[in-house]
Amino acid sequence: MSLSTSHPRWTPYVFIAPFLTVFAVFMVYPLIQSIVLAFRQTYGPDYVIWVGLANFRNLLADPDFWTALKNTFTYALASVTIQLPLSLGLALLLNRPGLRGRAFFRLIFFSPSLVGVVFVAMMFSVMFGEKEGLVNTLLRTFVPGFPPVFAWLQNYVMSALIVASLWMYVGFNMIYFLAALQSVGQDGIEAAEIDGANAWQRFRHVIFPEIKPVAGFVVLLSIIGSLQLFELPFVLLNGAGPERRGLTVVMYLYQNGFERNDLGFASAIGWTLAVLLIGLAIGQRKLMGKEE
Amino acid sequence: MQLSLGSWTICGLAVASSLGMAFWKAPAPPGKPFWLFSQSHSLTYMPMIAEWNKTHPPEHQFNGTVIAGPALERRLASGLLSGTPVPDAVEIEISMAAKVYAGPLDAVGLVDLTDRMNHEGITAQINAPSLAPWTTHGRIFGLPHDVHPVLLAYRADLVEAAGIRVEDIETWDDFARIMAPLMADKDRDGYPDRYLLGVWETNPASIEILILQAGGEFFDQNFKSVINSETNARVISGIVSWIAGPKRIGANAPNFDAEGNHLFLSGGVVCCLMPDWLAGVWMQDLPGLKGKVKLMPLPAWEKGGRRTSVAGGTMLSIPERSTDVENSWDFAKRLYLSRDLAETLFKNSSIITPIKTHWNNPVYDKPNPYFCGQANGRLFINEAPNVPIRTSSPFRPAAIQAVTDAIIRLKQRAEAQSIYTPSALLPFAREELKRAEAEVRSQMDRNFFQTAENQAKVSP
Repeated sequence: MSLSTSHPRWTPYVFIAPFLTVFAVFMVYPLIQSIVLAFRQTYGPDYVIWVGLANFRNLLADPDFWTALKNTFTYALASVTIQLPLSLGLALLLNRPGLRGRAFFRLIFFSPSLVGVVFVAMMFSVMFGEKEGLVNTLLRTFVPGFPPVFAWLQNYVMSALIVASLWMYVGFNMIYFLAALQSVGQDGIEAAEIDGANAWQRFRHVIFPEIKPVAGFVVLLSIIGSLQLFELPFVLLNGAGPERRGLTVVMYLYQNGFERNDLGFASAIGWTLAVLLIGLAIGQRKLMGKEE
Repeated sequence: MQLSLGSWTICGLAVASSLGMAFWKAPAPPGKPFWLFSQSHSLTYMPMIAEWNKTHPPEHQFNGTVIAGPALERRLASGLLSGTPVPDAVEIEISMAAKVYAGPLDAVGLVDLTDRMNHEGITAQINAPSLAPWTTHGRIFGLPHDVHPVLLAYRADLVEAAGIRVEDIETWDDFARIMAPLMADKDRDGYPDRYLLGVWETNPASIEILILQAGGEFFDQNFKSVINSETNARVISGIVSWIAGPKRIGANAPNFDAEGNHLFLSGGVVCCLMPDWLAGVWMQDLPGLKGKVKLMPLPAWEKGGRRTSVAGGTMLSIPERSTDVENSWDFAKRLYLSRDLAETLFKNSSIITPIKTHWNNPVYDKPNPYFCGQANGRLFINEAPNVPIRTSSPFRPAAIQAVTDAIIRLKQRAEAQSIYTPSALLPFAREELKRAEAEVRSQMDRNFFQTAENQAKVSP
């Protein structure tokens, strides 16, 4: 096979033109339009008013926005502080040399993330049923005096969301950690062992520094995923839940944009979320860079 | 430039698929599109649409298409606002109507039927409160499909076995007092064996029913928020007194839900707020209750008060861009004003027509074995003229949600402070409704298009 060098100079541009066209039409243009839209109020394309910063002012004055932000960050915090240590713990267990059935357990722990979010939400809504749900049935069986009716999805909305997301994502994040652990050199671990380091010291001073870049990546991924949380509470709670206890920023955006048809306000929410995400990503990069 | 065989193949496929997309048109079904969101409505209309099509030329025929509610809402909104295809006729459910009315009046996108209906004497034929949800700024944009009065369904087997006479119940206070023996704790587990009513703070539909029944509302005729009213405060205090505390009578038994259905089937909940459409749903979904359920007027909030309410609704509208508005109007009248359709609608789904002249149809007087031989049609019709008038504010869903949240907060306060009587809850109810109204007003203030002085400024 020989490479021809007789192509005109514009040939590469012809080949990337379809992608660039699609990218410009479906990404760049809507992105620019959404910035413009954030400063407008619209009702269909015919009714458009320039409102300046009013959408952003209204956003900051809306208690629902702060509720959504609080819920989203609570969930993100739980993801980072509960989900990731659990994932790392599972990965460490599965990385033990000589563990039998490792592939089987890996599949078992990973399999929940193969299931669609909507299905998981439906399943947990049945499990958290007030009277006949699996959770309450088990608690009634094993906890004397547990009431015949207990509404998890009213009284413990965030806990229910966190439990459902743990089930779904712990195994998924475990795979990242497992891959990272498998690339940790055995020499360092053995040397530490000879020097008398216990399991915690080996993890703290040898293993963790080696998997830190992956851990940083997983933390960032979890935070971004958490800030984009939508389907799970939307289906599990059939909306934002009682007193908006399950309202997230993306659900707030959806409600304003598509249920109230206020696309300008929704664009303002979207850009506020984007700025938050960019800020978090930069902060995380700087933090990791400084530590390295 | 030399291209390999693979490159030529890719280019060929790209050109062929582009040409295909540009020139191939998916075959459209014959007839003008008539969009529906309900399969049961479609089944009811099919024979009449077939009959219409037999007697009309192809260019005037209709094709009923069922589209899932949310999809219909999006497609219709897109069509009305930005020129994508719209149907020639469409059924719109009440929650969608609020969105259609969210912009300036001249942007509604549906044919204003007010003058036609008045001129042809149709307005006078229709049960007056049934027009209200489809009216905005005094203009009617759809023919009403239904009345949806609400009665109280109760487990007659349990109530009668306990020797309770429902004829003695006139008010909600009577209801709680007279039905109380049904809440005994015979299994001695520390909880009542049964609860009296399927009402809960997370069920906005039942909260709306009870507020409307009492004469409360969320907006006045000028679309001003009236959430923070004394009537509403009294109602939400009453509701919280039913669902909070050790002597609560209410339970969470949502419809269309396995646990809710189980509670009604097992007798865990004795009574249910029942619109006419729900009677049809129960007959289909809960056959186990056949011969065990009876209907009665709702207990009133005070002696001599209203014994019914209203829940849900549908209208038939014609988009302004319909290809033949006159033909669509004739079709709409043929369908919705038909005596045959009213009868089929009742037989299929227990829904009564809003056309008053059809109420003398004997089908409504037929004893129904499901309701222990009661003529459920006549019971609903008796209350139809009394259903409360609703307004069509686009902020209605937000208002209902805000009041629901107010009830949740009020219940939390009731339980935190062990206050369970309506009179003790009333001052807190006023505070919570004030907060709810402020929330809704802030949303309304955000909408430039809804302020009357701005409507003129924004015409395209």
